[in-house]
Amino acid sequence: MDRRAFLAGGLAGGAALALAGCSGTLPKVDARVASFGRNATGTVHVWCRSATQAGLTAAVAGFNKANPKLQVELTPVPDGQYVTKLATAIRGGEPPDVVDIDDINSQLFIFREAFADLTDVVKGLDYFDAISPGHLRLLEYRDRYYGLPYLADNSQLFVNTELFDRAGLDVEDATKDLDSMLAAAKAIRKTGDDVYGWSISGNAAGIIGFVTQPHVWATGVDMMSGEVGKQTANITGNEALERMLEFYRQLWKDGVLSKATYADAGTTWGADFRAGKVGIFPTSYGATVPAATKAMRAKMQTVLIPSWDGKRSFFDGGDNMCIPNGAANPSGGWAFMQYANGLQQQQALPDGGYFPTRSDAATPAYRKKYPLAFGPLDAIEKGYAPQTLAYNLLVNQPSSPYFAMFREAVFGSGAAAAMKTAQSDYTRILDQVQA
Amino acid sequence: MTTVSNRRTGAGRPTVGRGVSRPGPSRNSLTHPPRTGAVLVTPAIVFVAVFVLAPLVFALYISFTNWPLIGPYRFIGLQNYLTLFQDPTFVHAIGYTLLYTAIVTVPILALGYFLAVLIRARRRGSTFLRTVFFLPYVVGLTTLSFMLVLEAQPNSGAVNMVLRWLGITDGSTAWLVNGPLATLLICVLVVWAVSGLTMVLVMSAMQGIPDEVYESAQLEGASWWQTERLITMPMIRSTLALSAIISVIGSLLAFNQFYILTQGGPGTETTTIVNAIYNRGFVNLQLGAATAESIALVVVIAAVTVFQFWALREKD
Amino acid sequence: MSTTASRAGLAAPDLSTRTLTTSGDGGRRRHHQGSVRHPRDTAVKRTLYVIAGVGATLVFGVPLIWSILRAFQSEAVITQAADPATFFQLGWQNFAAVFSPSSHLLTGVVNSLVVSIATAVLTAVIATMAGYGFARFRFRGSGVVFGLVLLTMMVPFQAILTPLYLEMNAMKLTNSLLGLVLFYTTVNLPFGVFVMRNAFESIPTELEDSAFVDGASRFRVVVSVLRPLLLPGAATAALYAFLASWTEFLGALTFLTKDSLYTLPVALLNLQTGAYGQVSYGNLVAGSVVAMIPCIALYVGLQRFYVAGLSSGALKG
Repeated sequence: MDRRAFLAGGLAGGAALALAGCSGTLPKVDARVASFGRNATGTVHVWCRSATQAGLTAAVAGFNKANPKLQVELTPVPDGQYVTKLATAIRGGEPPDVVDIDDINSQLFIFREAFADLTDVVKGLDYFDAISPGHLRLLEYRDRYYGLPYLADNSQLFVNTELFDRAGLDVEDATKDLDSMLAAAKAIRKTGDDVYGWSISGNAAGIIGFVTQPHVWATGVDMMSGEVGKQTANITGNEALERMLEFYRQLWKDGVLSKATYADAGTTWGADFRAGKVGIFPTSYGATVPAATKAMRAKMQTVLIPSWDGKRSFFDGGDNMCIPNGAANPSGGWAFMQYANGLQQQQALPDGGYFPTRSDAATPAYRKKYPLAFGPLDAIEKGYAPQTLAYNLLVNQPSSPYFAMFREAVFGSGAAAAMKTAQSDYTRILDQVQA
Repeated sequence: MTTVSNRRTGAGRPTVGRGVSRPGPSRNSLTHPPRTGAVLVTPAIVFVAVFVLAPLVFALYISFTNWPLIGPYRFIGLQNYLTLFQDPTFVHAIGYTLLYTAIVTVPILALGYFLAVLIRARRRGSTFLRTVFFLPYVVGLTTLSFMLVLEAQPNSGAVNMVLRWLGITDGSTAWLVNGPLATLLICVLVVWAVSGLTMVLVMSAMQGIPDEVYESAQLEGASWWQTERLITMPMIRSTLALSAIISVIGSLLAFNQFYILTQGGPGTETTTIVNAIYNRGFVNLQLGAATAESIALVVVIAAVTVFQFWALREKD
Repeated sequence: MSTTASRAGLAAPDLSTRTLTTSGDGGRRRHHQGSVRHPRDTAVKRTLYVIAGVGATLVFGVPLIWSILRAFQSEAVITQAADPATFFQLGWQNFAAVFSPSSHLLTGVVNSLVVSIATAVLTAVIATMAGYGFARFRFRGSGVVFGLVLLTMMVPFQAILTPLYLEMNAMKLTNSLLGLVLFYTTVNLPFGVFVMRNAFESIPTELEDSAFVDGASRFRVVVSVLRPLLLPGAATAALYAFLASWTEFLGALTFLTKDSLYTLPVALLNLQTGAYGQVSYGNLVAGSVVAMIPCIALYVGLQRFYVAGLSSGALKG
């Protein structure tokens, strides 16, 4: 009798599974309908990253108030499990209507046709030309767009103007390329025992990727090359990369960085800069400004990240908003996405530590309110983020080859050996992911 | 406390004074009809069948495919299993997990045993002690790991503060970023947190040993250690064995504390088997291969457990 | 018919024997009550006891108290080297942050309580039934079935995460606390079944038989007659299930999608990690303290189920 019960249970479960597993592709969302985004009613299920929940909660409240017939339900999801949870939900046939997803993860889903094609409605936006091209690239596949950028998390160089003055340096001049910055950092280091020319968290993979890669991208190359899905490693022979690694190695060897850099995992990112002890600090707005005192903010200035030959770039991190195929209320989802992209909402983003993704948000009023938050907007076309399927594995994970290469080049035996290992590791991972 | 060991020592066996009782399945099919037994056991089976066995069967199917987390999949037969040991992270994780299990198993049992000895004499305050010793287990390894993340930080964490105060180091050790140090820290944490369970299990087993046994041992001039080794331990042998089995299974499946404290880093130095499986499936998005690794793990654990049962059985 | 398990003669963790230590055996056994004067209780042993006791208490208790202290320090203080000046500047700011409106922490606590208690009760009931069945009845395949229940303990949850999600989704059990409870119960059954099986095995069959002879129904027998003997075991199974469910986050995160259903660990995880994997330590410690309190309260509360067994004889000869 118990055996029968067991068999029954197992069969029931197995049958359910078979049914579930066979739910292959979900119905594609058709965003070309004229009424898409208009007259939607009901509930919109939105997922957000736990890091952005504060800002989105406010936006959702505003939206719900303005749209009594269309209500948004917000669910925050921890970063580490976001991709898994979304992928599982899609497989289970019950994806949310809108996902606020880390932009570097967008391609994972777009490449596999899990997100809705929104090209027509996106191109139809009147501010389309002002939208961050870096973010849009991550939403693009074969000339179609699969989402709308939402917020930007850009890396910039923050400088302490007081320390610069004390060392007799001009900010623009001293940060125009790697050599000038090295000299400037050394000069600042000399001004005090507890003053450092540069600050970086040497043991935080995500941070390292965020702040060091733009030095390379500014020259127009990346660590991978080729079309998404068919990429190859571009480490060996990458001059901009080599120079950047050498630059950091010099900073370390010359004692311009504090000794704690080696083990610093980013848990107190920005604390030393906010305490006024660091001359140049590559970082994000959100990690540095909101927690700083008013006095300290007055001493801050931002510049874009330069390459060895004087070109500038910055990391186009942040979030995109996409609609998964099979969503229950895609029209309502698009209505919310448009709202979140509205000028008012976008201009409020710096309060939460993020930047708008549309350059027309940098109105005079905005510039006055957020003096440190319009640099990237004025040069929005210089922003970049890698369009690849393997970003997490290549750069963000503690075990990633980019991170290992950086540490080996800066703290270990040097750039040559580090780059050689990275080339083969990049190739291995790209092959595995693109198989 | 098994019937067998009781039979051996002839003491402390629960009776109602009416002669030999025989715990265990009753032969009396009038008062204990087999059918009723089956019915009683059915809910548990249904739960297990639906929530564990069915998914396990499906997982077996997945392991024969290249199931990616996102997108379509195709059937690839035994390929995942054949390339099982070609994944360097997985192989390294096996060695690391075995090492970790070897390090923590004996201390957990020993400390638990010692704590049980400490409180079994039931002097004043032993109830309080029992509560305190079990508290870390009650709080849970996950919560404790979160707390340890903070305290293991260089300069600001309690661990380093204590070391600096004692003059052993300058307090700037980055415990969680160094493979051997992190392993050491985690092992200490686990022994500290889990020994409470062993203590409780062992102590209750010790309850079954009557005082006369100790008295006669003392009369014969046995030392404390001799008493423990020759009398106590054999009598609670099965409980010790069970504690060991549970502990080993738990160690082989260790995940949470590593996930929280080191994320398996630096690099893949402190990645356990389940960490490697998790990464393979949910970070590398290769669910098919990860599931194959999991199935292999389950088989191994089952084999190890069966072996332990056999090796530690009552030879009676 | 007997399997490896029963042939090995191994018993489950046997907390129920506490109540049986005083069962009569012709009156030759002594009752353990309160502090007994032991024949070997010399001054040396007493001193050793005190030293070891105090030392162990410090080792086990201090870290927990320390963490509670930490929860009241500001983020700045926690993340820097200890400065005597600021060390004792305590405040509620971390708890305020953790209980902010957008964090849904209070909902998380309630959800966790509901889920954990339901799991504990359900596990205890099913484990008791199964334990009774395994311990007292002979039926075909009991060994195999017991082995399968045991197998549950050996499966890493990550392996069956996706298939289980798909299955539960098909059964409409995802995004519901009920589904979570059913899953947690299953996971905690092996330990519970072990405990209860052993609890039953330690009870002499005569006890049941005499009750039957007196005309009691089986249900009555188990519930009334055997209850005092089973309570410690059931309490153990329930406590174990509660503790395991209280801190579980991977399953909760996977199976729950509605914000309002999130349990405490998931709500905490959302608070603790920021972008780039930065951790908010103040939130982390405060959250951990919040998570700790109910566990300790429950454990201390359940103590009496064990103490009762310790100090009185449940079975008289």
